[in-house]
Amino acid sequence: MNIFLREVKANFKSLLIWSGIVILFVVVGFAKFTAYEGNPEMLAILDAMPPAVISAMNLTAFNLTTVTGFYGIMISYFALMISIAAAMWGSDIISKEERDKTVEFALTLPVTRAQLLTAKIAAATLNCVLLLLVTWGATLVGAAPYQKDEKFYTFVALGTLTLFIVEMVFLAVGIFLGAAMKRYKRAGSMAVSILLGTFFLSIFTGLSKNLDFLKYFTPFKYFNPVELLNESKLDIGFTLLSVALIAVFLVGAYLTYQRRDLYI
Amino acid sequence: MNIYKKELAMKFKSVASWVNPIFILMLAFMSLYPSFSAEASLLDEALANMPPELLAAFGMTGIDLSTVAGYVGFIFLFVQICLAIQASNYGFGLVSIEERELTADFLLAKPVSRTQIMTGKLLAALTALTITNLAVWASTLLVINLFNAGNEYQTGSFIILLLSILPFQLFFLAVGLLISLLVKRVRSVTPLSMALAFGMYLLVAFGGMLGKDSLELISPFRHFDSNYILSHSAFETPLVVINIAVSVLALVGSYILYKRRNIRSAN
Amino acid sequence: MSVIEVSHLTKYYGKARGIIDVSFNVEEGEIYGFIGPNGAGKSTTIRLFLSLIYPSSGQAKIFGKDCIQFGPEIRQEIGYLPSEVFYYEGMKVLDLLKYSASFYKKDSTERMLDLADTMELDLKRRIDDLSYGNKKKVAIVQGLLHQPKLIILDEPTSGLDPLMQKKFFNLIKEENQRGATVFFSSHILSEVQRICNRVAIIKEGSIINIQDIKSLQKDNYKKIRVTAKNLEANSFSLPGINNLQQENNTLNFFYKGDLNMILKAISAYDILDLSIEEPTLEEIFMHYYE
Repeated sequence: MNIFLREVKANFKSLLIWSGIVILFVVVGFAKFTAYEGNPEMLAILDAMPPAVISAMNLTAFNLTTVTGFYGIMISYFALMISIAAAMWGSDIISKEERDKTVEFALTLPVTRAQLLTAKIAAATLNCVLLLLVTWGATLVGAAPYQKDEKFYTFVALGTLTLFIVEMVFLAVGIFLGAAMKRYKRAGSMAVSILLGTFFLSIFTGLSKNLDFLKYFTPFKYFNPVELLNESKLDIGFTLLSVALIAVFLVGAYLTYQRRDLYI
Repeated sequence: MNIYKKELAMKFKSVASWVNPIFILMLAFMSLYPSFSAEASLLDEALANMPPELLAAFGMTGIDLSTVAGYVGFIFLFVQICLAIQASNYGFGLVSIEERELTADFLLAKPVSRTQIMTGKLLAALTALTITNLAVWASTLLVINLFNAGNEYQTGSFIILLLSILPFQLFFLAVGLLISLLVKRVRSVTPLSMALAFGMYLLVAFGGMLGKDSLELISPFRHFDSNYILSHSAFETPLVVINIAVSVLALVGSYILYKRRNIRSAN
Repeated sequence: MSVIEVSHLTKYYGKARGIIDVSFNVEEGEIYGFIGPNGAGKSTTIRLFLSLIYPSSGQAKIFGKDCIQFGPEIRQEIGYLPSEVFYYEGMKVLDLLKYSASFYKKDSTERMLDLADTMELDLKRRIDDLSYGNKKKVAIVQGLLHQPKLIILDEPTSGLDPLMQKKFFNLIKEENQRGATVFFSSHILSEVQRICNRVAIIKEGSIINIQDIKSLQKDNYKKIRVTAKNLEANSFSLPGINNLQQENNTLNFFYKGDLNMILKAISAYDILDLSIEEPTLEEIFMHYYE
């Protein structure tokens, strides 16, 4: 419990910074949205667009003149930001002991490595959940002045849930890297590579139908906001895949961290 | 000179670890171009019928994905993200690494001034970025030659685009360095560079989707918008001036701050 | 000529105290001890000499030149051995030493090899893989290889085994005989006693005493122990008595002043046992820190 509290405290500043970024993003976004809101001309133009254009431009099928449609666009950006934060926290929370030369202290405490890891994972998860709540809250507050259709709250709630799943996948990846990499600097750069790789891959898959199978490799593509809006439920297959990935990475983290040598 | 040499030697691995993925990225995306250009001509027809205001609102002016220039402009954004992270990494880590790894006690006890140290390190980072830069030049020209699908393109405008890399990276190097000196201690470089690079990218990406505003004028992704450069074969001069002015100010500020900085002890 | 001149040097870290109004001079050719417990301000003072940090007020001069203004020039002739040693990852010992030597105008290769030999340092190993003690040896060699005129040591012996410590002290003495001035910061008094000519004692950021090592021991306090019947501590309320402690029939105290006076006071009793000794530096030190 004391380790958990220390970690939460140590990461608090970082949480504030990321919350600031998310809130700034929401503020800027809604400022832009004002121009679109309830503008029927815009709607007519959008309706006139051929579906091919819409999908190629990643505009998806959202009605940008409603808050609901607007959130559908925002969600991809939220996913990117939150995933970066989660991967960074995950890889950092373990490797920082070696970087700050405190690993000897942390590991000579009368706790097992599994306990240490559990406390750290719990702290990082709490951070992620808090950031997600900030995102959720900021969206609701930002949307407050506008007229909402009946689907809005369900959509935002479901969207937040998918954000949470994607966030947890990247957190688990980060934690695994932090626990498994021999040199602490590698953990950070590997996390960056994976983020960039999956992000680019998510765009790459959109370019051609033939590349559709690649979406299994990029969590950014697991949950399509359009389907989410239309069907109001999560894709079961990808939910299970995400849970499996999280489990594999976390188990991997426990196994490798228990066995590895630690250097100062 | 000795600082420059050592710093550069320590950066070689890092340069290689950026150059290779960038090359693979370009190769992968560009290899899709031939099949994409065939499909895309349909799409472009549809786009041509759109009202220009709408295209502007969605940041689609000047994008014609069926042409080599349009497609490369689209890919180049992702190369820019990589280049931004690399340059931010070098900026944030440039002098903060000495304090984090506690080697400042070694280096600063040597008969060199802080200005000399900073200059040596900056030049080494610039050299490393230039090597990356050259590799990107070579990769770009190579993939365009390999996968142009017989479509026409102007090499001149690509050269202009590639010329933008240097000031683009300098911005992130300088701003990262300045931030690293404004804070008490940089614990970890990567999260900071990710935040800076992606923050700047999101500003512009978001603007492109929902209409522009003045905030994105601070972003190098806007200063060196690849679509604009490729379609006009020119830079947007006022934005380039902003970019260079910010970089120069950040560098000057960094020198001043570093000269005055108190270096904390190990214990 | 003074090699180091410190006048009214003060450093605050925000509101936290570093050192306050520190003044002293170190003369050419001396080995100057700088003693104090952890957190007294020893490292702060040294970091100010090297302009790693900047003073809040006051000034330090080395070789007659201001530490900040002429920093690089001064450091050409300074060898510094930090208390904690960390070096660039991935470098071999030889690479680091060459890198270190490359900063100085003279060719130090011969001296470098010589020192590495004396300290039994394996030049081919990677620094990351060295033990703490061996890293310390690297620090010693890189600090001395350019035959500096001023050697600054910040708790140099931690991590060295007794044999290496002895070699190290011999090395420092040799450098001193060659003409180098040594500034030796430590909290281990026996070390300072062994090697230094003069010593400054620092406590909570202020210098509380500067003295010759010998006079510190001889001319001042005597450590007196009296065993006698019906001893009364009150009758020893002479000025100059310190640390008076009674244990049954035995009194322990330190005394500074006219010895005749104290002997008179003692002879009033029926003495069973009496000893008058030079206090060790340790004891003097404890006294200053009470």
